[in-house]
Amino acid sequence: MFYHIFKYRLKVLLRSKEMIFWTLLFPIALSIFFNLAFSGLRNQDSFNIINIAFVDNANDPNFSEAINSVSEGEDRIFNMIRTDLENAEKLLENDEISGIIVSDENITLTVNSSGINQSIIKSFIDQYKQVTSTATRILSQNPQAAADLPAEIATRISYTKSDPMGKSELDIVLNYFYALIAMTCFYGGFFGVEEINQIQANLSKRAARVNVAPIHKLKSFIYSLSASALIQLIEITVFLTFLIFVLGVKFGENMGLVILTTFIGSLTGISFGSFIGAVVKGNENTKTGVLIGVTMIGSFLSGMMFGEMKYIVQTNAPILSYLNPINLLGDAFYSLYIYDTYNRYYTNIAGLLVFTIIFSISTYLIIRRRKYASI
Amino acid sequence: MIVEVKNLVKRYGDLVAVDDLDLEVMEGEIFGLLGPNGSGKTTAINCILSLLKFDNGEIKVFGKPMSPEAYDIKKDIGIVMQEVAVFNELTVYENIDYFCGLYITDKSERKKLVEEAIAFVGLGDFKKFYPKKLSGGLLRRLNIACGISHKPKLIILDEPTVAVDPQSRNKILEGIVELNKNGATVIYTSHYMEEVEQICSRIMILDNGKVIATGTKEELKEMISLGEKITLQVFEMEDTHMNFFKTMENAVSVDYDGKFLVMKFQKGNSNLEQVLDYVKSHKINFGKIHTEMPTLNDVFLEITGKELRD
Ligand SMILES: Nc1ncnc2c1ncn2[C@@H]1O[C@H](COP(=O)(O)OP(=O)(O)OP(=O)(O)O)[C@@H](O)[C@H]1O
Ligand SMILES: [Mg+2]
Repeated sequence: MFYHIFKYRLKVLLRSKEMIFWTLLFPIALSIFFNLAFSGLRNQDSFNIINIAFVDNANDPNFSEAINSVSEGEDRIFNMIRTDLENAEKLLENDEISGIIVSDENITLTVNSSGINQSIIKSFIDQYKQVTSTATRILSQNPQAAADLPAEIATRISYTKSDPMGKSELDIVLNYFYALIAMTCFYGGFFGVEEINQIQANLSKRAARVNVAPIHKLKSFIYSLSASALIQLIEITVFLTFLIFVLGVKFGENMGLVILTTFIGSLTGISFGSFIGAVVKGNENTKTGVLIGVTMIGSFLSGMMFGEMKYIVQTNAPILSYLNPINLLGDAFYSLYIYDTYNRYYTNIAGLLVFTIIFSISTYLIIRRRKYASI
Repeated sequence: MIVEVKNLVKRYGDLVAVDDLDLEVMEGEIFGLLGPNGSGKTTAINCILSLLKFDNGEIKVFGKPMSPEAYDIKKDIGIVMQEVAVFNELTVYENIDYFCGLYITDKSERKKLVEEAIAFVGLGDFKKFYPKKLSGGLLRRLNIACGISHKPKLIILDEPTVAVDPQSRNKILEGIVELNKNGATVIYTSHYMEEVEQICSRIMILDNGKVIATGTKEELKEMISLGEKITLQVFEMEDTHMNFFKTMENAVSVDYDGKFLVMKFQKGNSNLEQVLDYVKSHKINFGKIHTEMPTLNDVFLEITGKELRD
């Protein structure tokens, strides 16, 4: 029975032009459009070294060393001046620097706008904090390890220095493509909407036919959904291949994780579509309308149409960037590319999994009912 | 007993779509559910199939309580829905094979059944066609084939001939009779009384969710007082003649519209003879004359006071 339903579902979906258009051709067309629109931007390799001011009130030698190490040499990230707070604020006001790092009991960042520069400074601080907190933990558990600590910190920091944030690597349009591939994963929702339509007898007569057949409803749903999932995973792989090999979009070193991320994102997308299919009242057009609308808003907020948007949301309403699964997904790609540490990546993936579970459980609660109040 | 429904009630809000329905379908019957639009035929069928929740009642199929999980019952039911429900992305053959495959897992057996169903509905030349390329009548036939290819013991057809040309319609009706001869019990819903009269062995008339009458067509016609209806084509009608017809012994109503004289009589005999004698002896110039026995429409009309036709 699995094979029977699966095989016919594949046939139906592969022959459904509208489905293939939205889930594959449309994203490819958009990516080509992005590529044309950004070709000017991408070619100028004038990645500026970021000007920052450093106000060292704490005299923490570790941090001082760390910030020095990324502010020296050819491939440095920052042009750093040590100064006092007053002067630093002046510089910031005159836009001569992008941010002020103040080292007190805590390390704080002051910026007056948001953008890629600011987020790079922030990520540097985050990384440093992460390393030191790991170090503190190790120390408290194992005081003998103290001897090894400076070495540990040094390797982590040098990592930062040689990481892809070096100027030739940083591609300011990457975020657009990451938001786009996140959107494409979410367009897997088209399959979800369609699968719900095929199993809920109050939504389609074909579903009513399946409901009167001697087969378990949830089983036939899972069989059918597997075909959808397979097609979505193949499509997203094709799209990823296209982005990497034809358009030259960079995804970083860890290809395994990048592919895994597209797959997890696709599952979130399909479950999101199923959720909409099950929860939203109305016909299929209404549902795909809602799907496209929500995905577009999510993509917009994660910077697909206007790159700064991502940072605006991050600085002004950080909670929103966690509640937006498309941002989580786009940011997961971004973190894979830009950071060597996986903390931020794992946070994103965990968020996506939480969303997937919520969508799936809600869908299940609706479609497990086998008799309908109204047909 | 193939289907047994007791005290079925289904409400949509304030609307009682099926109102205390009792129904029994015996093995080997073609059971007709006749009723105007909105009388509750489809709702009753969907309750029997366990698709719809209902407010009250008990439903047994093949002697066992029906439920969504009653797979041993469901495997022997074939259903042809009122609306065409096929996949536009699958060919005629694939559509039938897909739905048949939900019942029959053995591949070679299924192949045989699908071919038989295609031959049965006369779609042999269209196997590789996609539904979009089929005419309305052929599409209906595909819809039927999808519901019956697994040779069910009970076949439920919900208005399978709506919007079908007369030729396809006859083919469909003949097919249903043939399925029945081959051993299937059939429930057939329609709002065309001619069809129901033509093929059904027993008929239930529904109106506003209520059963109005049940029986063979002869039994139903016995229930009403109306007998024959005589129609006479005449081009002039004098009042004296009119008066004669109106005062005939069994006359219920006499109407003349300038072309046709329509006379309805109560049960009784020799009405036609009397009319003919009078017409001849008074040298009334007439065209055609014909007589009809009451139809199911008359039954419906007499019981509910309204026409069955749309
Ligand atoms: N899902 C629904 N929600 C509310 N009312 C409904 C619903 N389905 C049917 N009804 C109402 O229930 C009544 C019975 O409808 P039903 O479809 O069973 O009639 P029917 O005899 O099959 O008519 P038709 O010949 O038009 O198919 C009608 O008044 C209809 O408007
Ligand atoms: Mg109906």
